[in-house]
Amino acid sequence: MATQSAEDGSAGTIQLLRQNIPPRYYVGFVAFLVLAALPLGLSTVKILTMTAALYFAMFVVSWDFVSGYTGQVSFGHTLFFGVGGYTAALLNLEFGLSPVLTVIAGVLLTTVAGLMVGFPALRLHGHYLALITLLPPLVLIRFFSLYRSTFGGETGLPNPDNLIEVQGDFAATALVNYYLGLVVFAAIFLIAFVITRSDHGITYTAIQENEDAVSSVGINPAKFKLFAFVMSAALAGFAGAMFVHTPIGSASPSQLLELTVMIEILIAAILGGVGTISGAAVGAVFIYLARDYIRGIDTVVPILDMPVTRMDTFLFYVLMLGMLFFLPGGLLPKLTVFGRKIHARVTGGSPKAVTDGGYQQPAFVRQIEAYRTRILEALAALLRRDSK
Amino acid sequence: MMSHTSTMAVMDAESSDGSQRNQPLLDVQNLTKKFGGLVAVNDLSFQVDEGEILGFIGPNGAGKSTTFNCLTGKHKPTEGTVTFRGEEVTSKPPHEMVNKGMARTFQHFAPLYDRSVLENVALAYTSGKVFSWSGLFSLSTITGTTYDAAAEICARVGLQDDLHRMPGELPHAGLIRLELGRALATDPKLMLVDEVFAGLASGEVEEISNLLLELHAEGMTLIVIDHNMSGLFELIDRAIVINFGEMIAKGTPEEIKNDPEVQKAYLGGEEL
Ligand SMILES: Nc1ncnc2c1ncn2[C@@H]1O[C@H](COP(=O)(O)OP(=O)(O)O)[C@@H](O)[C@H]1O
Ligand SMILES: [Mg+2]
Repeated sequence: MATQSAEDGSAGTIQLLRQNIPPRYYVGFVAFLVLAALPLGLSTVKILTMTAALYFAMFVVSWDFVSGYTGQVSFGHTLFFGVGGYTAALLNLEFGLSPVLTVIAGVLLTTVAGLMVGFPALRLHGHYLALITLLPPLVLIRFFSLYRSTFGGETGLPNPDNLIEVQGDFAATALVNYYLGLVVFAAIFLIAFVITRSDHGITYTAIQENEDAVSSVGINPAKFKLFAFVMSAALAGFAGAMFVHTPIGSASPSQLLELTVMIEILIAAILGGVGTISGAAVGAVFIYLARDYIRGIDTVVPILDMPVTRMDTFLFYVLMLGMLFFLPGGLLPKLTVFGRKIHARVTGGSPKAVTDGGYQQPAFVRQIEAYRTRILEALAALLRRDSK
Repeated sequence: MMSHTSTMAVMDAESSDGSQRNQPLLDVQNLTKKFGGLVAVNDLSFQVDEGEILGFIGPNGAGKSTTFNCLTGKHKPTEGTVTFRGEEVTSKPPHEMVNKGMARTFQHFAPLYDRSVLENVALAYTSGKVFSWSGLFSLSTITGTTYDAAAEICARVGLQDDLHRMPGELPHAGLIRLELGRALATDPKLMLVDEVFAGLASGEVEEISNLLLELHAEGMTLIVIDHNMSGLFELIDRAIVINFGEMIAKGTPEEIKNDPEVQKAYLGGEEL
C-alpha cells in the first residue's frame, strides 16, 4: 500500500503510518480478537447466532459502501443477497456443484445484477432512486413464488451443503463455519474499509456532496458511482452466497429478500453511522443481537398483558424508532468524537483535536438530523400552544 | 489530476509547431441553447485567442452562465459547435473538458461542504482513475504530497490562512477564492470565470483582479463574466456583450462603453 513512498523520496510513509494510526484502529483490532475468541465461551446455538450476525454485518457493510458513501441510496440491496444466495443454493441442490464453484457463480451473477441496476441508477437521484431500487427484490420474491417448485416460494429452498462439514459433529461444523464467516467478514470489511479510505472514498463522498465539484476537477462521477454500485453488489452477492452454505443460512425470502431484511439493514447502518463502514459493522452486530435478545425474553409485558415473545417485532421496531430519533448521527461517530475528547484530555493534546476534527455528517444523515429538528420544533410549538 | 502536467506539456509542444499557429484557442460557432420555449443563448459566435482575457458582459439573465454551461459540457447546446485547441468538443462531458484544459468557476458556488478548504482543492490531485492501484488502495488521507500541491494552490488564491476551515465558515470572498483555487488546481489552459466580482468589496475586487492578471501574465487564457463592466475595465483586452442571448456588441472596453446598443440594454438598469 505504500506506493507513494518512492515519490516522497523519504522513509516517510511508514513513519506517517505509524504516527497516524488513530487509537480507534486499535479498538477495532481488539474487537476482532474478541470475535475470534468468542466461541470459546458460547453454546452451539449462540455460535450459530453470531455467525448469522456476522453475515448480516457483511450485508450492511456492502450497503454502506455504496449508499453511505456515494449517496446513491439503495432500498433494494436484498436483491443482491438474494441473487448470490439463490444462485449458490440452486446450483448446489440441482446440479451438485461444490460450494466453492457455486459461490463464484453467485458473485458473477450478482455483478451482472449490479450492472443492471447500477446503470439506470446513474440517471436517478434521491427519493426516486430509492423507490426504483425498492422494487426489484419484491419482483424476485413474487417470481419465486410463481415458480415455487424450482425456487421454493415463500418458504425458500432447502439447506444446501455447508461449505465446510465436519462429518457427524454438528457442534464442530457450526464452530468451523463461524470462523469461516469471520474470515469472510474480515475480507469484506477490509476491502470496503481500504477502498473507502483511498482516493475512491474521497471521490465517493465528494459525489454525494456535489457532482459538479467532482466533474469540475476532471473526474467522471458516473464511472465512480457505477464502480461503487457494482462493487457493493459483488460484495453483497459474495456474502449471500457464502451465507446459504452455512448451517444457519438458507436461500429463503425471510433471510435474504424480504423488505424487513432491508429495513433492518437501514436501521443498523444509520444507527452505527452511515458512511463509515466500521459503524455499519458495529451497528449490524448490535442490531442483530438486540433483535435476538428481545426474541428470547420470556416475560409478560405488564400493562399490555402479553408475552414479549409474541410482540418482539413490535418492541424491536419501537426501540429502533427511539434510537434513530435520539441518535441519528449514529453510534460510532458519536463514540469517535467522545473518544477523541478523552484522548486529547489524557495526552494533554491541543484543544483543536478536541473539536470533532472537522467531521461532517454525510448528507444523508444531515437530512435525518434536519427531520428530527423539525419534528422536535413542531412538538415544542404544539406543547406551547397547549399550555396557553 | 496528477497526470495533467505531462499531457499538457505534450499538447503545448504540438500546438507550437507551426501548423496550428493561427487557430484560435476557442472557437464558438452559432451556439444556441433553448430551455423549452425559452431561448437562453441565440446563435452566438466568437473566438478567443491564446493569451487573451476576454470580458463576457451582459445584464442578469442574458445567458452568460448558460453559455459557459454549453462550453463546459454541463448542458448540451441545442445547436452550434465548440472547437477547443483545434478539436471539436461540442457536448463533451464536463470532466473531459477539464482534462482537455478548460476549467471553470461556478457563479453559484459548488464547494464540498463536508471537507476543509485544503481537501476541497486536493480532490483535483486524486487519481481520478477507477481502476488504479493508487486510486483504490492509496492512503490518501495521510500522504503529504498531494496536500502540499493543494496548499500551494490555496496560497496562490489567498486562502493560506483558511486551509483547515470548512467552506461553510468562509466569507463570500473566500468561497470565490475557493472556486478559483479548485479550477486552478486542474492546471487549465483556459479558465472560465463566472461573476467573481459580484458582492465583493472594492479592496477584494482588486485582489482578485490582480490574481487574474498574474495568471494571465503566466500565459493563462481567461474569459471573465460580469454583469457590469466597471470591475473589468483594468482587466480585459476586449469584450463581447450579450443581451437576451444575442451578441449586441464587441470590441475594446472603450468601444463598448460608447456603443449605443449597449447603452440601450443597460438604460434604466444597472450602471455599465
Ligand atoms: N437549467 C435551466 N433551465 C431552464 N432555464 C434556465 C436554466 N438555466 C438558465 N435558464 C434561463 O436562461 C436564461 C439565462 O440565464 P443565465 O445564463 O443564468 O443568465 P446570466 O448568467 O447571464 O445571468 C434565464 O432566463 C434563465 O432563467
Ligand atoms: Mg450567471
